[in-house]
Amino acid sequence: MMLTLLLLPALIMFIVSFFKNKKAKFLLPVSSFAILLPIIKLFTLPKPYAILNSYLIADELDTYILLVSSIVGIGVTLALLTLDRHVKVSPRAYSRFYRFFAIFWIGLIFSILANHMGIYWIGLELATLSTVYMIKTNHTPAAHKEAWNYMIVGAIAISLVLFGIILMYASAKPILGEDAMQFDLLLQHAKEIPSPFLFEMGFAIATVGMFVKMGFFPMNLWLANIERASFYPVAALFSGILESAVIIGFFRFSKVAAEVNYTHLFMFVFVYTLLTIFIVSFLIFRAKDFMRLFSLSGIEHMALIALFWVSGGTFAALLHFGAHAFLKPALFLSTGVLESKGKYRIAGALRGYSGKKGTLFWLLVSLFLLAIISLPPSPMFFSELYGFGAMIENAKESDHMLAMIGAVLLLLILLSVIFYRFVSIYQSMKYEGETYSKKVYASELFALVLFALALMALLLPESMAYLRSIV
Amino acid sequence: MVDFLIGLFLASLITALFTTRLYRLLLWYSMNSLMLGFLALFIGKELNDTSMLITGIATILIKAVGIPYFFKRMSLKFHFVRQIIPEIKVQYAIILIPAILVFTFYLADPITHMMRGNANYVAISISSLFLSLLLMMEHRNVAPKIIGFLSMENALFLLGITATDGMPMLVELGIFFDLLMAIVVINLLFHKEEASL
Repeated sequence: MMLTLLLLPALIMFIVSFFKNKKAKFLLPVSSFAILLPIIKLFTLPKPYAILNSYLIADELDTYILLVSSIVGIGVTLALLTLDRHVKVSPRAYSRFYRFFAIFWIGLIFSILANHMGIYWIGLELATLSTVYMIKTNHTPAAHKEAWNYMIVGAIAISLVLFGIILMYASAKPILGEDAMQFDLLLQHAKEIPSPFLFEMGFAIATVGMFVKMGFFPMNLWLANIERASFYPVAALFSGILESAVIIGFFRFSKVAAEVNYTHLFMFVFVYTLLTIFIVSFLIFRAKDFMRLFSLSGIEHMALIALFWVSGGTFAALLHFGAHAFLKPALFLSTGVLESKGKYRIAGALRGYSGKKGTLFWLLVSLFLLAIISLPPSPMFFSELYGFGAMIENAKESDHMLAMIGAVLLLLILLSVIFYRFVSIYQSMKYEGETYSKKVYASELFALVLFALALMALLLPESMAYLRSIV
Repeated sequence: MVDFLIGLFLASLITALFTTRLYRLLLWYSMNSLMLGFLALFIGKELNDTSMLITGIATILIKAVGIPYFFKRMSLKFHFVRQIIPEIKVQYAIILIPAILVFTFYLADPITHMMRGNANYVAISISSLFLSLLLMMEHRNVAPKIIGFLSMENALFLLGITATDGMPMLVELGIFFDLLMAIVVINLLFHKEEASL
């Protein structure tokens, strides 16, 4: 019953996408709101709650990530209502976009709730494949090329994840049999795994696959190019939902890997994320358009989340994750409006919005832009404080305190580079360029307000307490 | 017999790397899948594992027959370029392929000591994965890249069969379903009917 309720909005979306009536699209945001009901119910149920035997289990982490992703989904459906006012899209392509969005959503619900490595992978693969068509909705040669690019690189990344899963499964099969696919049992028996090297090798391969999918080193520009070529809601879905499903996999695999050998896990992720942030910070410094800027910033934040998580800063990682999942889609959706009167034009992008709706729009975009660089009271400010604190705490228990302080300092320098670039872009958007009249529509504004409210809700003591309860 | 089949599996993949014609590449992919299907049937019979037997039959039907047939029809419909010259010259490929094989055997060496039975098969699976990646990289055309992607799925399947004595049925069916979905998406990508708005 619970599973049916969770899948219902996506199924409605799938069916409605076949309707020829133009007004049918207004049903979609309404139906997408319906997903909040079963999720709220999930919050009240005792955890872990078995949704589908031992295959799909909702625990505190799943429920939180599902809620965050659903809010992003609602925001995107709202913004999609006015997609055709900003970009050129045929009614048929528009319907197909919804159809594949529904498949994408179904895949992600399975991935997020999966307690089974195989189901997690199947959900992720389903979401990846459905995204290919969403990229292609934009009928430009660049989008067509990037759709193929995504198909091929995405398939390689996802295959690496499966390869890793098979090796991890093989390592634990002698003690758990076919149940070695289940995350909870794997975690319980992690210390008994007879061939830890095999598990670690599987984990490393799967992690590289997941990191490639999120645009980490060495594929830093891959995602940025795809998001640039596709319509802006695709980028919002990538950053708000798809990356959530990828990172939850990393959370689950790394919990088991930490039990197997924490030092190996930490060193591997630490070096990988540091290298990624190092490269991305300079790419951000050179970014010349909104999409690439936000996309590269997304890679930086996902790397920070992974780093905080393995450093033991679970709370910091989850807070950062939630804030990023709301902020980044909000910024990507805003980009659709900002760029609708001329692409790549940063100077003066925030000028020319008049009236109540216009003022609220530029105010919200300004706040989001400043919040993404962790200016207080952004939740990211607190998450970074807690995250760096966790890294230092972690180092206290080892002999590498000085090295860790050096790494934190290096990170702060790199984050300052990013901070400088964003502030400079914001100033250019607000104080440079020409002013001409621009329009913003109610539905996209409503989506931005929804994200702003969700962001504020993250700072509530109750939300913080819930995040602290997730271990 | 399993050793023989696994040898043919690898041989068909290596031959595919040198192929310059699309239909011949499809044939080698079909052979590769056929060997994989037979492997699943043999190992499944040895282990008395019904789900692996079903997987073997499904592999033969879907991968060895269905996908190549569908792909050939698609190539006729969308007029694929049938002459596919690899970007890596033959003399370099001849050096590169054994290097990959030696490297993967070396890479998998610590694992092979931990596995019971069929230890070298893991190394062959990893090398097949790398060779499939090479197949994707050495061609500029999309069609051989897709074959490379499908061969990569075969390498994963081989690992699943040999390293774990078969994955759970649910996972294998899921992988098949995803593969079919991939074909649908590839078909949609080739469609040009919506090119003009």
